Amino acid sequence: MALKDYRKDMETCRRCSPCKFIPLEKVTKFEHINVCPSIARYDFHSYSGGGRMVMGTALLEKRLDYTDKLLEVVYNCQMCGACDTSCKYSMDMEVFESLDEIRISCVEAGRTLPALDKAVNSLRKQGTMVPGARSKRGDWAAGLNLKDYTREKVDVIFHAGCLGSYNEDASRLARATAKILQKAGVNFGVGGENETCCGGRAHHMGYKEDFLNQARKYMDGIKKSGAKTLVTGCADCYGAFKVLYDRYGLKGDLEVLHITEFVNPLIKKGKLKPKKAVNMTVTYHDPCYLGRQGEAYIHWKGKEVLGEVRTFDPPKTYRRGAGGIYEPPREVLKSIPGLKLIEMDRIKEYAWCCGSGGGVRESNPEFAMWTANGRIDEAEATGAMAIASACPWCKQILSGSIKGKGSHLKVYDIIEILDKAI
Amino acid sequence: MTLKRDFYKGLEDILGPEFVSDDPVITDTYANPFREGIPYAQTFEAVTLPKDTEEVQAIVRLCNKHKVQYKASSTGWLYSDPTKPNCIKIDLRRMNHIIEINEKSMYAVVEPYVIGAQLQAECMKRGLNCNLTGAGSNCSALPLAAHVNLGHLSQSGSYGERNQLALEWVTGDGDIVRLGSLGSLDEWFCGDGPGPSLRGIIRGNTMPLGGLGVFTKAAQKLFHWPGPSTFPMEGVSPKYKPAYIPPGFLVRYFSFKTLDAMIEAVLKIGEAEISTELMCFNAAMMASNLATENMEEEIAIYNKFKDSVLGPGFMVLIAANSGRDFEYKKTVLQMIIDETGGKPLLEVEDPENQGGYVWRYFRETGSIKETGRVLAPQAGMVGGGDSFPLMSYFIKSCAKLKAKLIAEGALFDDGTSPFIQSIEHGHTGHGEILARISLKVKDPRKVQRVINMGSNEISIKEFFGVPQHVWSDELHDMYGPHASNYHLWLRKIKKTFDPNNASESSNYISAKE
Repeated sequence: MALKDYRKDMETCRRCSPCKFIPLEKVTKFEHINVCPSIARYDFHSYSGGGRMVMGTALLEKRLDYTDKLLEVVYNCQMCGACDTSCKYSMDMEVFESLDEIRISCVEAGRTLPALDKAVNSLRKQGTMVPGARSKRGDWAAGLNLKDYTREKVDVIFHAGCLGSYNEDASRLARATAKILQKAGVNFGVGGENETCCGGRAHHMGYKEDFLNQARKYMDGIKKSGAKTLVTGCADCYGAFKVLYDRYGLKGDLEVLHITEFVNPLIKKGKLKPKKAVNMTVTYHDPCYLGRQGEAYIHWKGKEVLGEVRTFDPPKTYRRGAGGIYEPPREVLKSIPGLKLIEMDRIKEYAWCCGSGGGVRESNPEFAMWTANGRIDEAEATGAMAIASACPWCKQILSGSIKGKGSHLKVYDIIEILDKAI
Repeated sequence: MTLKRDFYKGLEDILGPEFVSDDPVITDTYANPFREGIPYAQTFEAVTLPKDTEEVQAIVRLCNKHKVQYKASSTGWLYSDPTKPNCIKIDLRRMNHIIEINEKSMYAVVEPYVIGAQLQAECMKRGLNCNLTGAGSNCSALPLAAHVNLGHLSQSGSYGERNQLALEWVTGDGDIVRLGSLGSLDEWFCGDGPGPSLRGIIRGNTMPLGGLGVFTKAAQKLFHWPGPSTFPMEGVSPKYKPAYIPPGFLVRYFSFKTLDAMIEAVLKIGEAEISTELMCFNAAMMASNLATENMEEEIAIYNKFKDSVLGPGFMVLIAANSGRDFEYKKTVLQMIIDETGGKPLLEVEDPENQGGYVWRYFRETGSIKETGRVLAPQAGMVGGGDSFPLMSYFIKSCAKLKAKLIAEGALFDDGTSPFIQSIEHGHTGHGEILARISLKVKDPRKVQRVINMGSNEISIKEFFGVPQHVWSDELHDMYGPHASNYHLWLRKIKKTFDPNNASESSNYISAKE
């Protein structure tokens, strides 16, 4: 697929603007109706899902070129997919995939941002999207006596991810996760220094070929291991393995589970017992790539029928956000004694993004933090003592926001709270 | 055409460089989205984002000084594009505050970019409701911003022209005028005084659609709301379902063998004042509202519905104040339906469907599905605002055009039943021809022209009055001689309040001699 293949999707846009708002049936107050950080921050229509659809057709029509301004608009977007979900409440068009293709076309035209090039160069050289040496990738697991799935037979692969491997705080989380899996008696292994980046963030920056190279290498290793299940605590990695790998025909029959999906049934079966009270009111932030963009990829092969109206043979089923992973993280939190879960205004398929994705963290940290600040404000308004997420990228930027704002909130990954309770 | 640098610098001085742009990447996305068969629209020379009335005034005055036109819009769905060079956009997106909700006097004051869903949600918390434009709650809540502001709630909640109270207006040449009570008392409760009463001047038959300056704040009437303060929706988009249907709420759809029988039922329901909403949707619109999967599902539902209906029909929604009130209204509704031979569409009454219909109609979240789901440039024609029977017959006459175009393969066959609606319990009516031009048609504009010209001829020859789609010199010149030469007066209004023709008025009227 290429940008030209999404032309009719982009032309379907009617400029009605729900891509800017949470689904209208969910508007219960004046505040917090914005769902797209980009249009909320920059205001010009070009920064909305609908504006980007017009931009995509303008690129195809050669009315616009890959100018610096175009790159500025294209890349000031976290690729959170909220516009796609809100649009598809009513419409049948692929907004998110069109955005992907616009970015891919930028990279193919040799026009991208230096900060993103730097991150992708790291991927090419070291196999990671964050600074770190390949040889140190497995250091987070030192002393845990974990199996190496490249050498030993395991049922489950635990993928730590780039942050989990190199970031001090996220590495602690990866260790806690591994210990929980050990307690539950799971036969799992890690890749250690052989683990590499999933490539997902490169794809969302538009570097499709780099993603594909990375994904193919990664899947070769997984296939050799014979493991049937991959578990990760990183929502970005989850989205990549589950959705992108599938979209490009690389996933095969690998079962991809987020750690909350994996431990939730273990808790229900009594294999993990959260006994210790964690007396805290917590609000939960849905990571975009676990939530609305965590919905399984829906393969469709057939032909577009342009008759009186646009239909498909066979009929096409759209990913509208309904199949995202919303309940397992909440069920894990609810299983913890003493913990009270309180919801923010924008949740699940219409959650406000943390700000970290789509290369914005790398290319425009001010906008990334502006977006995170919006989430922290919303979390504070609930009266919660803490905000929990299920992705180290979310946690990292929300922590930064809390620190910058001097907020009273604590920030946790769900697994950290579960670890306290077990 | 490139703007002069001193003009652009003037815009930057007013707004700050962050809130003005003439980069094509910005201006291009404000032009009509490109669709197959429709030529690319003219782009604005620049786009501005004022934050308040003073900035709007400064932009307008700068445009007058430099002989540059401007066009303002809020949520900007339709009729907000430029048609000629040398025109800039005033995007009112940053003016997004609810100024006041006065519970005692039952009115709300909003800036242009407050959307209907926001205002309605805040009103419902206070036991109140506002009329929303039928285009959907994604559109501006400003009563002047969205065409005539007719919507699903107009049966009980009237429409923009009648609901509009005091108003703040930046005229075409940059004066700030405060109409009604705002002009003398600094309060918003009345549109006609004490203070200048210019409601008719600023609206005309519909409204100026950006052609007579900028409306920066407006008050509107609110109405009683007997329902819950929030909507307990469950599920995940797009499959939302209400946790429950509140007591006293009901939605039904009835079809009739003839248009006359339907009109009789509508008038009787209006006379009895039992319904909160009454919209003569056709079976295709009922199907669109229900479908969540794709176009194929929508067509399947429509095929089922069309086999179940007798002919023209309507959706009626009751929201009662008490158990007794509900029983009374239900009983009266059934009596009227029995008397007029209405047939229920049972799928609407299915508890699985009914709750969704209730909320989507109250919140007006299904409008986009009903009108824009498929990839097809829409055709359409907006009817007038006269008596309900007269408007019904007007649309019935126009529907013959639609039937002909369907037979020729130019339109998607979604039946020819017209869409009509009852306003203020049958006091007046409004109708539209909604159509989807077949993707096989190479030039969709030709089909639109056939509908436009045909319906205008019908309106004039059969004495149906001046419809609410009359917005251009060409159309005003066509209708004016048949309606007391009103167009000459309208031009004088334009000339008086916009002497330099700065406010781009291709969707209103020009001041040409």
